[in-house]
Amino acid sequence: MTKIRLLLGKDLRILGRSPVLLATLVLYPLLVAIIVGLVVRYAGERPRLAFVDEDGLPAVLEVGGESFDVPTLLDDAAKDVELVPMSRAEAERQLDAGKVLGILTVPRGFTRDIKSMVVSPVLVLRTPPGGLATRTVEKAQAFVYTLNQELQQAYIGSNIGYVELLLEGGSGTILGNDFTLIGLAEARRRLEELTGSSDPETAAEAQELLDFLEQTTVAIQGVDDFLRATASPIELETERKGGRAVLLSTQVQAYALALTLAFVALLLAAAGIASERDENVIGRLAGGLVRLGQLVFEKVALVAVVAGAIGLVLAVAFGVVVELGDVSGGQPWARLAVIAVGLLLAAAAFGALGTLIGGLSRDARTATLVAFLAALPIVLLGLVPTGAVPAAGWISDALPFTHAAQFFASALGDTDPAGTLAREGGWLVGLGAVYGGAAWLSVRRLLT
Amino acid sequence: MLLAARGVGRRYGHHVALVPVDLEVRAGRSTALIGPNGAGKSTLLAILAGALRPSEGRVELAEPPPKVGWVPQRPAQYGRLTPRENLELFARLERVADPAGSVTRLLELVELPDDDRVAAELSVGNQQRLNLAIALLAQPDVLLLDEPTAALDPRQRRRLWELATVMSRGGGAVVFVTQNLEEVEHFADLVVVLRDGEIVFAGTRAEYLETPEAHVFE
Repeated sequence: MTKIRLLLGKDLRILGRSPVLLATLVLYPLLVAIIVGLVVRYAGERPRLAFVDEDGLPAVLEVGGESFDVPTLLDDAAKDVELVPMSRAEAERQLDAGKVLGILTVPRGFTRDIKSMVVSPVLVLRTPPGGLATRTVEKAQAFVYTLNQELQQAYIGSNIGYVELLLEGGSGTILGNDFTLIGLAEARRRLEELTGSSDPETAAEAQELLDFLEQTTVAIQGVDDFLRATASPIELETERKGGRAVLLSTQVQAYALALTLAFVALLLAAAGIASERDENVIGRLAGGLVRLGQLVFEKVALVAVVAGAIGLVLAVAFGVVVELGDVSGGQPWARLAVIAVGLLLAAAAFGALGTLIGGLSRDARTATLVAFLAALPIVLLGLVPTGAVPAAGWISDALPFTHAAQFFASALGDTDPAGTLAREGGWLVGLGAVYGGAAWLSVRRLLT
Repeated sequence: MLLAARGVGRRYGHHVALVPVDLEVRAGRSTALIGPNGAGKSTLLAILAGALRPSEGRVELAEPPPKVGWVPQRPAQYGRLTPRENLELFARLERVADPAGSVTRLLELVELPDDDRVAAELSVGNQQRLNLAIALLAQPDVLLLDEPTAALDPRQRRRLWELATVMSRGGGAVVFVTQNLEEVEHFADLVVVLRDGEIVFAGTRAEYLETPEAHVFE
């Protein structure tokens, strides 16, 4: 162990004297953190939509006897999207330039349709092709849903007003027609008078009508609840509490951590072992000073320490970004220790693979290039959805990236991650052992 | 016998670098390995040093195993460490009793600068001195030198051979690869001539000088 510690100290000292490499190792994760920060911020941001009003919406909209302040209504509903009013031509320009993610159009006849309460009015959303369209549509749907909820309350309120008019009597307007009702209460009072009529036939008919009226009154008094139930057959009640949720930020962080480890650990390990060869030192070490297994273990340990530390700094930076971005989910604080363990395991597994690459390469330059070229497909394979291409999944299973990403995603987002952490941690340990063994053989080959 | 190669051969794929050879390294003797380029001299020396595994045969060590110092033709040291850091690292790996003291003594012996300059910034000659100093750290019983004087100035060459002579007279052994016949004439007790991976002559210096067919350079 002392010899491993001596070599580890030597490598850390050499690393400290390589300013370009050191700067790259520090700047690389910072760059990743910034990119992730932008993505996470985007996840919590409202898409910017051009708002084209072709119908000339009035400032105040009268629907079903209710008055709506249109700007306030739009502001209240626009918590999911940022609506920017502009002309059709300007909207087209901004959409083409990518300054807005879509155009939300209020077509001609919208006000007429909404007032009619017979025809559903239509808003038109146009998005450009591409990956952002789905998210824009989702956000616009949320906007329309909120708008509908606002109007729905007014519609229900208006209808309940009519029901109360029916019960209590009074004057009102429907579809522009004015009317006056005596109301069920007054009708009942008058029928009760008639039940006392001296004409038995009249009194009997009045009693019959009175019974009907009472049943009707009971039924109409329940209309309020019926209306609300019909408007929302199923309601989702959201309880906000301190739980964890798998959100975009969690996935992005998990992949960013695994990606950083893949590049840093592979390159560092490959270059580390190949440098020993370049400096002609492996032979001297193998001549009785250090066992080759110790040398391989030292390289893996070096990478685990360095890449693990970089990963931890990155995880903390992500946590700060997530907090500042006010994105719910993906905060690492409660599970930082678990994440640190995952970082060490993943860095060691990648380090063993990198040592294998370095052992098979002729020199440090080749090793670095091969490690870089290998890192990219390893990462891309890990991004192929499970089941989409079975062969890609099998290959990916034999590489550390997917397991590292799943470990971090589970640690960051799962409410009960123990099973996933144990499984993926086991994979990383297993892969580290297999690649470490292969790396030992590759380094041994240098002497044989 | 301190060290012996028994049927040691080395192949690189289909290329035979060293056909199986036998060589004994005896205490108090200085052995020169000579031969044209590609004859297998450095390969044999690296195998004796344990830095290269033979494709066949084995290297036998006396009991107790002798300490072996190896000075490869191309310096084997860390370019981004200073000479002192290099020496201290290898001293600790060799489990030298007093690493700092030994390092100071060796830096003085080979006249290396003890400053902040890393090994990669040293002249080729100084790198070779450091290479030698690392080999001497453990006070070896057998010193294996692969063209050790190629980059040294005359003064350092003289010092090296003085050191080698003291070592072999003190009961140690020196095996050196050289292309310089003057060094053979002055410092070798035994001479081994290799050509195309085969030993074509092995005998005393006097026998070598009297055997014209062993003079493969001529």
